[in-house]
Amino acid sequence: MGVHPRALDYAESFPNGVIPDESELTCGTKIVPGKSYGFFTDTTLCIGCKACEVACKEWNGLPADNLGLTGHSYDNTGDLGADTWRHVAFVEKIGSGGDRARDMAPFQSNWLMMSDVCKHCANAPCLEACPTGSIFRTEFDTVVVQQDICNGCGYCVPACPFGVVELSAADGKAHKCTLCYDRLKGGLEPACAKSCPTDSIQFGEVEELFDRARQRVESLHEKGATDAYLYGAPDTPGATGGLKHLNAFFLLTDRPEVYNLPAAPTRASGRVRPSFLTGLAAMAGLTLAAAALMSAGRGGDR
Amino acid sequence: MNAVPDAMAPDAMAPDAMAPDAMAPDAMAPDAMAKDWKGETYYGQASLKPSPFDWKIAAYVYIAGIAGSSQIVATLADRLGDGRDETIVRNGRYLALAGALAGPPLLIADLKTPERFYNMLRIYRTSSPMSFGSYILTGFGLASGLTALGHMAGERRRDGSRSGLRRAADMAQVPAAFLGAGMSTYTAALLSATSTPLWAAAPRAMAVQFGTSAMATAAAALSLGEQVAGDPGNCRRLDGLAAIAAAGELVASAVAERRQREAGVGQPLREGPIGAGYKAGALALGLGVPLACHAVNALSKRPSRGLSVLGSLAILAGGMVMRQAVFQAGNRSAERPDEYFRLTRREPEGTSPRRRVDRDLAARGARRLP
Ligand code: SF4
Ligand code: SF4
Repeated sequence: MGVHPRALDYAESFPNGVIPDESELTCGTKIVPGKSYGFFTDTTLCIGCKACEVACKEWNGLPADNLGLTGHSYDNTGDLGADTWRHVAFVEKIGSGGDRARDMAPFQSNWLMMSDVCKHCANAPCLEACPTGSIFRTEFDTVVVQQDICNGCGYCVPACPFGVVELSAADGKAHKCTLCYDRLKGGLEPACAKSCPTDSIQFGEVEELFDRARQRVESLHEKGATDAYLYGAPDTPGATGGLKHLNAFFLLTDRPEVYNLPAAPTRASGRVRPSFLTGLAAMAGLTLAAAALMSAGRGGDR
Repeated sequence: MNAVPDAMAPDAMAPDAMAPDAMAPDAMAPDAMAKDWKGETYYGQASLKPSPFDWKIAAYVYIAGIAGSSQIVATLADRLGDGRDETIVRNGRYLALAGALAGPPLLIADLKTPERFYNMLRIYRTSSPMSFGSYILTGFGLASGLTALGHMAGERRRDGSRSGLRRAADMAQVPAAFLGAGMSTYTAALLSATSTPLWAAAPRAMAVQFGTSAMATAAAALSLGEQVAGDPGNCRRLDGLAAIAAAGELVASAVAERRQREAGVGQPLREGPIGAGYKAGALALGLGVPLACHAVNALSKRPSRGLSVLGSLAILAGGMVMRQAVFQAGNRSAERPDEYFRLTRREPEGTSPRRRVDRDLAARGARRLP
């Protein structure tokens, strides 16, 4: 990607004020309310530098959550949670018999790295579950928790099929990636994408990202990396069970489970109707039985 | 991993570039996805977050079931009974109100920001049992309050006519009974509408399990009330109802377990201390013992009070154990990535909601700002 022509207008080191529509300069996308924005995370480009994790924590003022070592490769964060909205997974591919693998697929090391994030699902199960309406869909088609409304009921937590959202013990409210709602409002690219040095995290308009991602898969296949596929684009793994697609989707080169992602997640609200109606039918049956017993004369000893 | 460019190279990831007949499943599956999942997980790290619900919510589910079903039985006894069921009507109404009063404190205590509990009634959402359940509970509480207070203020007169207050109470009982059916079973939908493997694997069977258990516990509680009132005839009828419901629960539990087994989930409900508690407390004590007691009583000419009381107490205890075990095992199953991944290798029951909450990406032209 070359330099955006508008960049020349802002050549000084200390711009005097906020650059309007800065995202146009940093990622070629102008942020307009009403369109869908998301992330395309290309794991083949990830070098595991964790710049995204750090940039996210800095911008969003999130506390460090684990100062120890997990012992799981270079992954010290473990998973996404209330205080970790970007999480870099490190999958060390071991060869046969516990040895180091010796053959490598083209353009790959034996290390898979993936920067995970809230998927901002097209049909977000967390949003559908939230009884207070505190989780809402923004004008940028992203999914955000309104902290001033959430009452900490915690129902969004098990509803999410990716284990993203979590209640914070510190303030008793649900937290997760907001796709930098505040930055989007100000015309800025999200912090993680802006900080990613390899463009493994790309921010943009979702439809445009899908096109870009499909081209990337094709070119990887041409180069011999036939393992590459998309996770969360329409009609691909991850976009199943009524989820349609994920606004934050991924290019992977191994089974989803290897990256801690479910192959066919489902939309939890799809189970409300079958369950509730079956329950009511059972109650109707029991009511009939009870009615028969109540209207029957008294049995036995009276 | 295969370094040689594959002749079957699935450029299918760009569907627009492909002829439709090339969209066969084989061509669609890239090498990585075609590889079978052999149970590998990410360092055994959970892929899901377990629900933050604890014993308080399990206790609420139990109480809501007793309260809801009591209201149903009381209503039936009032409408269909021959006038000698006044104690059932009264106890049922009081029990319903007591449950409706005990529920909210438990629910509020479980919130992590309890001072904002009223936000529950800020919106109404059919895709969230937590949302519509709050309205069921509110409506049930109001209607049950009417029936119970009306009953308290206006016991039936000597000549059989009913006072105005009592008539008002009787009018509220039918809606209360309908809401009671919801109270008895919406909590199962609440659990199933999550990604928790154990709860998501058997939405229908679990709803029947919860509903029948609600009716069994309500009948057992009312039967104990009749023992106190000294009406063996009423006890017999209520024990019969409890036995029918318990038998239904036994079948539903078996079906639920089979569904969970088929989906490869639910080990925590079968193994370890939770599994032992479930089998001994919920199945053997909660269903086996009362079925045996009530069967003996039903067959004998002179039903034994002791057996009836024992059966009722066993049902009441078993119902509580069942809720707690299902809750704990569910939360445990959410921490086991292998269970979740087995479940998500195939689409479980009921995955296509008919009602869309969010709008289509394409159809979203001019949209309202939030
Ligand atoms: S990934 Fe989870 S938290 Fe993020 S939008 Fe989807 S359901 Fe909600
Ligand atoms: S915890 Fe907060 S955001 Fe999550 S469902 Fe409850 S009210 Fe909504």
